[in-house]
Amino acid sequence: MYPKKLEKFLLKVQKPGRYTGGELNSVVKDKSKVDIRYAFCFPDTYEIGMSHLGMKILYSLVNAREDAWCERVFAPWTDMEAVMRENDILLYGLESGDEIRNFDILGFTMQYELSYTNVLNMLDLAGLPLRSKDRTSLTPVVIAGGACVCNAEPMAEFFDITLPGDGEEVTNELIDLLKEYKAKGASKQEFLQAAAQIKGVYVPSLYEVEYNEDNTVKSVNPTCGAPEKVEKRNVADLDSMFSPSEFVVPFLEVVHDRTTVEIFRGCIRGCRFCQAGFLNRPLRRKSPEVVEAQCKAICDSTGYDEISLCSLSTSDYKGLEKLITNMLPWTIEEKINIALPSLRADNFPKELMEKLNAVRRSGLTFAPEAGTQRLRDVINKNITEKEVLTTAAQAFSGGWTAVKLYFMIGLPTETEEDIEGIANLAQAVVDEYYKNPDKPKGKSVSVSISVASLVPKPFTPFQWEPQDKPDVLIEKQNYLVSCVKTRKVNVSRHVPWTSFLEGVFARGDRRLADVIETAWRKGCKFDGWAECLKPDMWEESFAENGIDPYFYTARRREYDEILPWDHMDYGVTKKFLVNENKKAHKGETTACCREKCAGCGANKLNGGVCDEIGKTVV
Amino acid sequence: MKSVRLWFKKDGLAVYISHLDMNRCMTRAVRRAEIPLWYTEGFNPHPYMTFLMPLPLGQVGMREPLDIRIEGEMSFGEIKKRLNAVMPEGIEIIDVAKPECKPNAIAAAEYEIIAEFANEGEAQGFALGAASLIEGGVLNAEKRSKRGIKTVNLCEMVRKFEAEAKGNEVFITTILAAGNTVNLNAELLLSALLSQFGAETENTVIVRTKLLQENLSIFE
Ligand code: SF4
Repeated sequence: MYPKKLEKFLLKVQKPGRYTGGELNSVVKDKSKVDIRYAFCFPDTYEIGMSHLGMKILYSLVNAREDAWCERVFAPWTDMEAVMRENDILLYGLESGDEIRNFDILGFTMQYELSYTNVLNMLDLAGLPLRSKDRTSLTPVVIAGGACVCNAEPMAEFFDITLPGDGEEVTNELIDLLKEYKAKGASKQEFLQAAAQIKGVYVPSLYEVEYNEDNTVKSVNPTCGAPEKVEKRNVADLDSMFSPSEFVVPFLEVVHDRTTVEIFRGCIRGCRFCQAGFLNRPLRRKSPEVVEAQCKAICDSTGYDEISLCSLSTSDYKGLEKLITNMLPWTIEEKINIALPSLRADNFPKELMEKLNAVRRSGLTFAPEAGTQRLRDVINKNITEKEVLTTAAQAFSGGWTAVKLYFMIGLPTETEEDIEGIANLAQAVVDEYYKNPDKPKGKSVSVSISVASLVPKPFTPFQWEPQDKPDVLIEKQNYLVSCVKTRKVNVSRHVPWTSFLEGVFARGDRRLADVIETAWRKGCKFDGWAECLKPDMWEESFAENGIDPYFYTARRREYDEILPWDHMDYGVTKKFLVNENKKAHKGETTACCREKCAGCGANKLNGGVCDEIGKTVV
Repeated sequence: MKSVRLWFKKDGLAVYISHLDMNRCMTRAVRRAEIPLWYTEGFNPHPYMTFLMPLPLGQVGMREPLDIRIEGEMSFGEIKKRLNAVMPEGIEIIDVAKPECKPNAIAAAEYEIIAEFANEGEAQGFALGAASLIEGGVLNAEKRSKRGIKTVNLCEMVRKFEAEAKGNEVFITTILAAGNTVNLNAELLLSALLSQFGAETENTVIVRTKLLQENLSIFE
């Protein structure tokens, strides 16, 4: 429910359904009967936020408690923001319409660095001071979780608490603690100090950071008894972990509007550029029976006709065939589609594939990531040209005519030859089509290649690598386009400036807080949206604060440099990452976890256990 | 396979659900209710579901028809009960019945409009002015159709119009052409009237109360 004041403006903004609430399965409670009011804040539009699985999990998890009420809050689009500012309407929870500044917890999920200005904007729209130190009362406590908080330093001034790792258990513990501290009338400082003792809780204000003259970090010193290293939270058993049986069903069309159930966390692959693969180690798996029951419950409560089984690499799920075979009878009966995102087409039985229609629906996609075998070895992406071509040929003989290939440029050790290799691989796929004797008559093949730019991220073997500057990336993109000799291949490219800004924040430090605030004051928000990104405003903001952004992106870091995120512990050891980095430069690959444990160290989070290596302690 | 006509009310928060979104919303509701739907044949089977008269965004509908097809037996009472158990806030099934009239029998619709003005004087002025303007028989406005924008005389599509001012508010009851061939959106009529008098409302509520046939008998 929206605030009454807003009513007469709702039909004047685009998609009023973003701001009204009242969707099926949204939870409305009696506010006089709850102790903790939690605003789950997603710093992007409703359509993106409502597609996010993490939000659905935490929403249901908090609402499963009798003593707490969780509501949803999304970043209002610019038209709505204008209406709110003109009419003094403060940011509200979609369920109650109440102003969130009076809530107990504002929990942001940080999936993407380019939503940092949106966090500031939302705090401001809520009528709250931006900086943690200026919000002096105990509540609301402003917390954040999600991938970006593996290096929360650029946002350290704004958040009171961040939660590295899995949020399921720690959220409940934090709510319990806040309830206790609220009841005894404690101060914010007392609460934060106590919270810092919970495993998987990082309180940035309890750490003092000193810098060297060259602006690198000299030391990070915990105060008030905060732990020296903050270990990420790890949920050991996914089967008994909380999982929702209902999703809020949006009226508006959102990006992903379907039943989504995780099948495992972590990844066995070890692609060296992939942050998610390292942040979520060790591998933990949900059993097929649990997955199936969860899918069924959500379909029943929502009426969805599509199920997505999600993970970082679906075909690596042990028992996938069994799971699908068990699910097919009832999903066919109820006319439900099963989608398998991030499926590797090469090792999946063809008959099952046909039944699923999975490929037909999502199109045939491959992610070779690099154009030559040499560079694929550098990034440890174990997919060969032969595999791509064989699977493509198979698909073509089955009647498909479109293939999508994903690549990255700006990879370490990359040469012109590697970029040419992207065009060559696409060409080889086209040739494969014409080799097929029973290709559909009169139909042409279409191969689209999507090229992203590498953004080196913390906790990956590439965390020390320099990132290509935007002008270099543009040159590389242009070179790639010039290598493509046929209209059957079409290239779509990312905006290099976006990757650049993402890179600054990904490996940034606390000195960036002022830059972010300056940029926001100049009107920067929705920076991840090409139509909203304002590079000149950002450049001014860096300059005004005397910060050279290339310090964060363009420089090769030494292995012994103290990195701004070194006091976070995601299980994977620095020693392992250094070794992987060295191997990358030598073009040596590392076997996937299923073949051989590489000793990354993440199994220590699980008491030495890793799904892939059983009970052996490495 | 048999056709069933659902009659639903759409108000409250549900007025912000666009027509396109309604389709998805109702499909899911029918699925949740486990109504034995009839599905089209073919590669991508989907349930048969037709809204007979799209309701514009922001308007309340008191009795809106939706045709579905079911397979097997289920009583109308059971369908209604099941659907209402799973409906989102603001949508309610009022009736489930056999389709009596052909969809193209819809020729008109009755609306009740409440327009709130800044003060009593403005409300009074508007109520009198609007009624006499409609009576005069000429109110030209630009209307968007499939063939582009053209100027039409809205009065030709107005079959009844009454306006009464009470305090700041003007209460309008009107019957407008509706259906596939000629259709007049109540909002268009209202904004055309407002622009004639250079007036502005503080707030408006448009309620479609019933759908009618050519002879103004109820569409069932
Ligand atoms: S401990 Fe071994 S098997 Fe487990 S994630 Fe690390 S490298 Fe892979």
